[in-house]
Amino acid sequence: MQILLRSARIVDPQSPFDGQVTDLLLENGLIRQIGENLTASENIRVIEHENLHVSPGWVDLRVAGKDPGFEHKEDLDSVCVVAAAGGFTDIALLPNTLPAVDNKSTLGYIRRMTEGHPVTVYPIAAITKGAKGEDFTDMIDLHHAGAVAFSDGDHPLQNADLLVKTLQYLKPFNGLLMNRPEEKMLTRFGQMHEGVQSTLLGLKGLPALAEELIVDRDLRLLDYALGKDPVSAPVLHFSTISSARSVELIRRAKAQGLPVSCDVAVHQLVFDDSALATFDTNLKVDPPFRSKADVQALWYGLADGTIDTIVSDHNPQDDESKNIEFDLADFGITGLETLFGALVSHNQGLSLGQIVHKLSVRPRQILRLLPVTIDQGQAATLTIFNPERSWTFAQTLSKSKNSPFLGKTLTGAVLGIINKGQFVQNAGI
Amino acid sequence: MADSLSVRHLLGIKDLNENDINLILDTAKEFKEVINRPIKKVPSLRDITIANVFFENSTRTRLSFELAEKRLSADVVNFSASGSSVKKGETLLDTVNNILAMKVDMIVMRHSSPGAPHYLSGRIPANVVNAGDGTHEHPTQALLDSFSIREKLGDLAGKRVAIIGDITHSRVALSNIFCLQKQGAEVMVCGPTTLIPKYMSELGIKISHDVREALNWCDVANVLRIQLERQQIKYFPSLREYSMYYGISKKMLDDLDRPIVLMHPGPINRGVELTSDAADSHHSIILDQVENGVAVRMAVLYLLAQM
Repeated sequence: MQILLRSARIVDPQSPFDGQVTDLLLENGLIRQIGENLTASENIRVIEHENLHVSPGWVDLRVAGKDPGFEHKEDLDSVCVVAAAGGFTDIALLPNTLPAVDNKSTLGYIRRMTEGHPVTVYPIAAITKGAKGEDFTDMIDLHHAGAVAFSDGDHPLQNADLLVKTLQYLKPFNGLLMNRPEEKMLTRFGQMHEGVQSTLLGLKGLPALAEELIVDRDLRLLDYALGKDPVSAPVLHFSTISSARSVELIRRAKAQGLPVSCDVAVHQLVFDDSALATFDTNLKVDPPFRSKADVQALWYGLADGTIDTIVSDHNPQDDESKNIEFDLADFGITGLETLFGALVSHNQGLSLGQIVHKLSVRPRQILRLLPVTIDQGQAATLTIFNPERSWTFAQTLSKSKNSPFLGKTLTGAVLGIINKGQFVQNAGI
Repeated sequence: MADSLSVRHLLGIKDLNENDINLILDTAKEFKEVINRPIKKVPSLRDITIANVFFENSTRTRLSFELAEKRLSADVVNFSASGSSVKKGETLLDTVNNILAMKVDMIVMRHSSPGAPHYLSGRIPANVVNAGDGTHEHPTQALLDSFSIREKLGDLAGKRVAIIGDITHSRVALSNIFCLQKQGAEVMVCGPTTLIPKYMSELGIKISHDVREALNWCDVANVLRIQLERQQIKYFPSLREYSMYYGISKKMLDDLDRPIVLMHPGPINRGVELTSDAADSHHSIILDQVENGVAVRMAVLYLLAQM
């Protein structure tokens, strides 16, 4: 199949064509030709759009696929559809399914079920059985079976010895450990960020300290286990950091040459804890929305490269888990479809090139994936978008509706993705 | 002064303005007269049906609401269930919608989840009165406390009120802080460090961990119960130690330079936060609070029914 992108602005810091407005001819999953006024033969799909932009396909490092086990919230098909609508050609799925991705057969199930889909799915395997933080999974075996990284997902690793051993064990095959930093003893029964707002609402707090302690601890454990190595790919990746002090700790660790990386969930860049005043359960998320100063620090961290990538932290929850009392409601927000719109709408100074670097270049490096560059002869793994177009998020393609952006108008629209020789147009805008 | 409230529901003191508070307290004064007459009833809410929906145990608050409703001639139904049984089965919204389907106009609800009445108010047509939501607010308690202080000491502006006890787990403390501040009173909270939320000081109040300091400072001491049932984890070693360092005796009150007013929202744990002789002393207006509770709740229900 041939696709012609007409007059597209190329956004790819690594491409010789970066910044040019030109035509791209795609054939059989490859970029065949880049140049002006390319002629379209018959039977060719021509994509023409006002203010058309194209970049290497985006990657989301943190998506809850919910399948197997919670298919009423999302399944492997729907999560791919949602990812494509959000502009993601590649997604990494958390292992917190039922059963967890702690064995080859569950991992194989996920790979098989998503094989033909235009979105490439990378299962993250659990570090411990059931992602419960106790016994190791067969990590080498899972690595050979296709696990892209290791993490207990939304169960933060508590045991320091386990973390050290995992880092050491992953080293021979250059494995990646991803951990959501949180000291659970400090967050028991917590519902939202601990601060004045939680005091005013009578809700038990999730102190930022609980995250910062583990960031600090894990960085020291990383230094202890593997030492400094500025040239290697990150070995330890912190998921969804949310506090100013975490950013500062990671900034210093990077300066010292520790092989560490981190991401932030897009909603953390948009909301602070004052948003919780109405007890809206669609704003209940872990880590919680923190103070305005924390939000500011996260933007600075993105700008100076401390924060490597932005994730959706897509976590679908059904009505039964959300349309209830705040303290009984589950944590989580769906985010794949609105990541780009939310980011652009609230952007504090990131250039389009920086955004593409964070959504495309850097996450591929972290996951040890092959780089994708817009050049002739390269794979056509592309996201097409219009960063200035406004659209209303009227309806979600997810099986769940727990998004604070539903009904809201956002700037920055994804037009579709091209991957594995297929074009998926975003019908939602 | 406007003669109607700015809100359709009484969810918390946080949402009320000064005029709302004055209107409720002035109206309560009239109702207090009514309930002291030989015929304690008025026909004001004759056509209104009110459901008292209690998902948490309560004796005095529920009784107080029920009496207030009956003295306004409203029709009253009561529903009680523990939070956990509801969690297993029917949702809060389903429970309340079932009650409303039987043509109920107003819901008085106590619930263990902070924000539960706020959640409800956005989803049902009836007026909602918060009779206590977890560790968040207990607005009618704060209003009756203010009413009682007013009755005893006059205008609250400039008065010093110390709230002593388990502040972290108290909805009474938070509602009182809002209510007192909106009327110009100064507030101090006093208790063990672990029972005062870390960020409390940012609410513009004084913090003390010395009960004698609090008693010396205040015009009114509002003493709270230790909410053991709401403490999911350990906050202090023992009730014995608590009563030794935070318990208030009659002698401590008698030794003060000037008389203070002693309040307690009940139920009292005699021998823990208050000794019996303190609770029964001339300092105490605890039973006045209970009486005023009915009048204040009549005022709230009456005013909301007009909205």
